[in-house]
Amino acid sequence: MSSKEITISPTTRIEGHGKVTIMLDESGNVADAHFYATEIRGFEYFLRGMEADRLPFIISRICGVCSTAHIMASVEAIESIYQTEITDTARKLRELLLMGQIVSNHSLVIYFLTLPDFWFPLEEDPSKRNIFQIMRERPDVGKRAIALRSFGAKILDVVGKREVHILSVIPGGLITPLREREREELLKEAENSIAIAGEALATGKELFEKNWADFKRAGDYRTHYMALTQDDAINFYRGNIRIINPEGGNVAEFAAQDYMEHVEEKIYPWTFAKFGYLKALGWLEGIVQVGPTARINVNSKTTTELANAELREFKRKFGTPAHTTILLDYARLIDLMYAVEKAKELLEDKTLTRSDTRVKVEPKGGRGIGVVEAPRGTLAHEYVLSNDGRLEQLKLIIPTQINNQAINLNVKDAATEFIHNGEIKPGLLNRIEMVIRAYDPCIKCATRTTGERLRVEIKNHWGRLLTIL
Amino acid sequence: MKVNIVSLTCCAGCVSSFLNAGDALVEILAGDFDIVYSPTFIDLKEIPNVDLAIVEGGVRTKDDETLIREVRAKCRILVGLGLCATHGGITSLGNMLSLKNLLEKEYSLIDTTKLPELEDLMYPICNFVDVDYYVPGCPPMPFLIVHTLKSIVSGKQPERHQSVVCTECHRKIVAAKLDRLYGIYEKPADPVLCMVSQGFVCLGSLTREGCGAPCPRAGFTCFGCRGPPDSMMYRSRDMYAFLVKVIASRTSIPEETIKEELYRNPFVFHTFIFSRFERAKARDRVV
Repeated sequence: MSSKEITISPTTRIEGHGKVTIMLDESGNVADAHFYATEIRGFEYFLRGMEADRLPFIISRICGVCSTAHIMASVEAIESIYQTEITDTARKLRELLLMGQIVSNHSLVIYFLTLPDFWFPLEEDPSKRNIFQIMRERPDVGKRAIALRSFGAKILDVVGKREVHILSVIPGGLITPLREREREELLKEAENSIAIAGEALATGKELFEKNWADFKRAGDYRTHYMALTQDDAINFYRGNIRIINPEGGNVAEFAAQDYMEHVEEKIYPWTFAKFGYLKALGWLEGIVQVGPTARINVNSKTTTELANAELREFKRKFGTPAHTTILLDYARLIDLMYAVEKAKELLEDKTLTRSDTRVKVEPKGGRGIGVVEAPRGTLAHEYVLSNDGRLEQLKLIIPTQINNQAINLNVKDAATEFIHNGEIKPGLLNRIEMVIRAYDPCIKCATRTTGERLRVEIKNHWGRLLTIL
Repeated sequence: MKVNIVSLTCCAGCVSSFLNAGDALVEILAGDFDIVYSPTFIDLKEIPNVDLAIVEGGVRTKDDETLIREVRAKCRILVGLGLCATHGGITSLGNMLSLKNLLEKEYSLIDTTKLPELEDLMYPICNFVDVDYYVPGCPPMPFLIVHTLKSIVSGKQPERHQSVVCTECHRKIVAAKLDRLYGIYEKPADPVLCMVSQGFVCLGSLTREGCGAPCPRAGFTCFGCRGPPDSMMYRSRDMYAFLVKVIASRTSIPEETIKEELYRNPFVFHTFIFSRFERAKARDRVV
């Protein structure tokens, strides 16, 4: 009997402790594949009873990488319960914070996590395939990566008052206004960041072109796509949620408040991460993806100049909707360009420093939803508060949860492409991980419970471990 | 110096914070600081022997426990980075449910044979291994991480921060006359006065300094993410009684009223330290 199981654990260069298992049939071909989340933290249960005014800054601890998006969704959910209308100034500052979040997250993902896959040949010694090696060979690339991340971090520090787990965003607006001096300083850095993002895009496109024929072999799964849209343009903070089908037709467009009526979750016993899907279409039919590619597929433009030109080029090259998984890495670069341009646009607005950042809130009980575009896709928090202001129920639908099934199918796809007759080709492990990496899954978020690794174990069909790769 | 960066159960915020250090990070990486193992950045799957291991996150699963023991055995100096590693952090709020309850009520649909077994509680790493330096914070500020790592690389003791956040906060402490405590959303904070003097429950007076007091400076309350200062790390210290006294002296609210208010909210105090942190053991090693 030759059937066995291949396990990749821990997955590396991915945020969260993950694991991949590939089940082989008797002839050694791929029968099935799973992407697991192996960590739990349990925010869903220990937050019950929490007072609403501590909720946002505690819930941000779900993820240190995209904490700003979590705080924003959380505060918006509480505001929708309190029926608070925040001021224009607060709205602009919040959008600026989200742009800071996108810049700091995407610069991390693009340079530190995915770039090494494109930079080095596939056969490169795995211990060399990382950003630190790139920095040794090309210190200028490393400097640019860190400068770009610092710009994102600085927005979060100056406007959010802390770089990770910001605290200035509270129900009713922002705790303090932005000073004129701070605005000018950030604006100066924004100029420079647009130049760096431009260089990143040029390098990214060049590397992509070189490897495209090889990349498109793995992971080309046709699904629905979902993202926020504002007048048919990409928006991270405001607008309707739109869903399109694999052919590109509009399936639904609705306000954020109706989100939970459209999305359902499924549980499998082998993972701590849930699976999101579209309620109307049911399980498997209703698989939907969110994230950078989805944002481009759902929208026809961006409101900023350079990113819009890139978006047009992307659509021209890969069609719309674009399905190939690895395009996520490309689309992420366009996101990054949009974020730095939008940040600059916001910072040029002198009314940003107005002092009316905060309105008085009137706490009450009820149900409310907050939806924003997090770096990895559409993020929703739904709370039910009691009349004395405590959390009674919460439901979080996190981008990685929605992408979970697509990731699993793509892993199977990639495994089928690379494994034949039980033979594992060199570099296979990393090719499968590359597909997962493209999604930039945040397993920590998806389970409210995960860590940071993938490992490959080969087991025989009784489940006995044969080797660990 | 060869370096491992390892993540246990955490949010990855501490390593994110390290990456936010900008020019200082470039400087560290250009110096004697060779990161050889880190699942977040490097594809190596086996843990090598190193000089320095930086650990973020605490121990929630048996996998974490196995990993931290292996990491300790393979390094010369071990640094616990962030509150999850040093004190248990936010995940230790989950300690309010027993393991049995947790599995029966919250994860009943999970097949636990396919996933790592859970520990009975969320533990800080010092419950399993010796820790050379603790750098608490949720997350620790980039400059604090940079300062600690630079000292270690150059073979020096990192400077310790022993006192409380109030020493780094510019706000003016006065004995105000208030009739009740306020939630942080209820009114805007005065830019000059001490947060406690305005009736907000700020934990600066019993939280370790070293962060630069970003939260009270911004008009938010300190929520204790740096853990207790040296003076509070004795078994005999009752932090709760101390907090009541601080608030009473700065607001003139009767102690009984304050106690009632604080007991009503179980999260005031233990938000970040609900764990089995072995205080006495750690006293001289907290940076």
